[in-house]
Amino acid sequence: MNRALFLSWRFLGSINLTVGLCLALTVNLIWGYFSLNRRTPLFTPLNDMGLIPWMQTYGVHNLAATGWFFLLMILLALLAGNTFVCTTNRVVQLLTAGSDGKGAGHRKWLALKLAPHIMHYGLIVILVGYLVSYLCTNVLTGRTLVPGFPLSLPGASGQVTLLAFEPEYYQGQRLAFWRNEVIAARARLLLDDGTAKQEAILSCTRPVRFQGYSLHLRNFAPKSQGGMKMKTRVDLYVRKDPGVALYLAGIALFTLGLALYVYEWVTHREATTE
Amino acid sequence: MNRSKPHHILAILCLLLALLPLAACDRNDGNDRADTGGAAGPAFLQVGEFAINRISPERTEVRDGAGRILVLIPREAPIPADCVPSQVIRVPVRRVAAYGYFDIAVLRALGVLEQTLVGVTAPAKRWHIPEIKQGMESGRITFLGDAASIDYERLKQSEPELVLTWDPSIIPLLDALHIPAVVTTTPTAMCLNTRMRFVQFLAPFFLKEKEAAAYFTRIETALGDIRARTAGLNPQPKVMWGDIYEKRVMVEPGNAWVGELVGLAQSDYQFKDVFGTACIEITLERFLYSGQDADIFFTYRTEEMGATSKEALAKLNPLIKDIAPLKRGKVYAPLPHYNQSADRLDEILTEISAILHPEAYPGYRLHYFVELPDTEPAAKERS
Repeated sequence: MNRALFLSWRFLGSINLTVGLCLALTVNLIWGYFSLNRRTPLFTPLNDMGLIPWMQTYGVHNLAATGWFFLLMILLALLAGNTFVCTTNRVVQLLTAGSDGKGAGHRKWLALKLAPHIMHYGLIVILVGYLVSYLCTNVLTGRTLVPGFPLSLPGASGQVTLLAFEPEYYQGQRLAFWRNEVIAARARLLLDDGTAKQEAILSCTRPVRFQGYSLHLRNFAPKSQGGMKMKTRVDLYVRKDPGVALYLAGIALFTLGLALYVYEWVTHREATTE
Repeated sequence: MNRSKPHHILAILCLLLALLPLAACDRNDGNDRADTGGAAGPAFLQVGEFAINRISPERTEVRDGAGRILVLIPREAPIPADCVPSQVIRVPVRRVAAYGYFDIAVLRALGVLEQTLVGVTAPAKRWHIPEIKQGMESGRITFLGDAASIDYERLKQSEPELVLTWDPSIIPLLDALHIPAVVTTTPTAMCLNTRMRFVQFLAPFFLKEKEAAAYFTRIETALGDIRARTAGLNPQPKVMWGDIYEKRVMVEPGNAWVGELVGLAQSDYQFKDVFGTACIEITLERFLYSGQDADIFFTYRTEEMGATSKEALAKLNPLIKDIAPLKRGKVYAPLPHYNQSADRLDEILTEISAILHPEAYPGYRLHYFVELPDTEPAAKERS
């Protein structure tokens, strides 16, 4: 058992594996590029039905177009393992070497040396966050808000009501064909949790959080002033995604590592120029 | 970091090479059929952005054009505990209200139109399907009001068990009325395969899988015939499909079924690089540029909408008068019943092919389109 663990650890910590994985990922993504061409309907459901049900339906029944994705997951899992083992090996070395020194200067030196490894751990946390997202997210599809009809969320006591759709229209002169088209969709929502009411603005890049769910703008109507008269509506993706906290934590960790790394680079450059 | 033998790299590359042949497997444009699940049809069927997943004999889950999951259960079965009642549909459905001509034509293809249709969004005078005209006369089929302003009282009175719609904005209202709805359009245009297979998406609602399979086979045979007749034909005509309206220019994108059909029938579609929704808006400049060397122009306009001659089209919109099909090529307009004839898709596909390559279809007479004369017939007579 110990030997098997040792061998696995050594296999995952190999630099040759890193190089091989990078090459394999490049080839795989080229394959993915050609497979994705105009086949987005195959992958769109992945955003809402979760990884396992998607694999059991769209995935396995369209292997010619999805094979690259299955392989990508294997390669990313190996890359995460490889990154973790290599980073941990190096961190252990640094901590062992650093255990002799004392004082603030030494701790600073150690922190700066750990910077790239913090970034690597951050990357792994981000990848795990995405995996959790695709495995565990609860997505309510096809939820539409129209004025006067509140939307109830399952397992939550509150309601969401569309107060007004207030888009920004293009009024410039340069793109004549774009005139009066919506360039920024914006919906004003009323969030009522049963005890208090508050307004929130929903737009394409600005989801609204409410009772553990996040509400994302998926589509809307009307898309222009004039033209065909479309009834006002806002289509939503409603998600309960436990992976968000993980990849935000990963991003924070990565940013911390990057800040330390840049700090070290700047101070080192100043020291060498002096 | 430990050093290890380079055979790891080789192993990974070998794995990749072993999987690469998958990329060369037979492709059928995202509409793949899974393993067969007996007489009811395949266990999983993807039809463009629609899908059918047969979980068990008592439960089938379908994904509609808006990405909503609806659960089909037998009529006598209890409502599953894990479902919202408004997303549960009892099959076979006995009463349907439908918005689109295409959906209604598909009901006709399945052989359920007369028995099930109870509501439509076009008045009697706009219909060319005899069963609907008769149904509206007898009061069995109700005009529910224009699609943009449905009369919900009338809808409720007609007691549909299902509404087929392209308009997601009515879903919250239908939920309140406890009427399940299926969104039958998608953000991207239906490709040829989806157009042919859409009947297989609606079939489980009426337990008409056999009829759907027969319809699909008929269309597939027609496509095979088109391929055979047009193989190697030259020259390849350049085709455009769309129109210029007062403020907007709309065309069929390259991913739409007409764009694919034109390519399949050894012709060159001028908007094959345009991707997106059916009847997509493009710039006027692009339309006119593509029109410079086009041979054939299919307009959206019918005779009722002013497409009586090339001269009339040019009068309607002077910008269009300089495109090549109006000056020296051919212009075709759909006949009024064309939009309601999707149950005859095989004939429509054949007719479009015959228009593109008349030499492959000697003596063919048009049934769904009309070739526009250069001048107004009346003016011609006077001259």
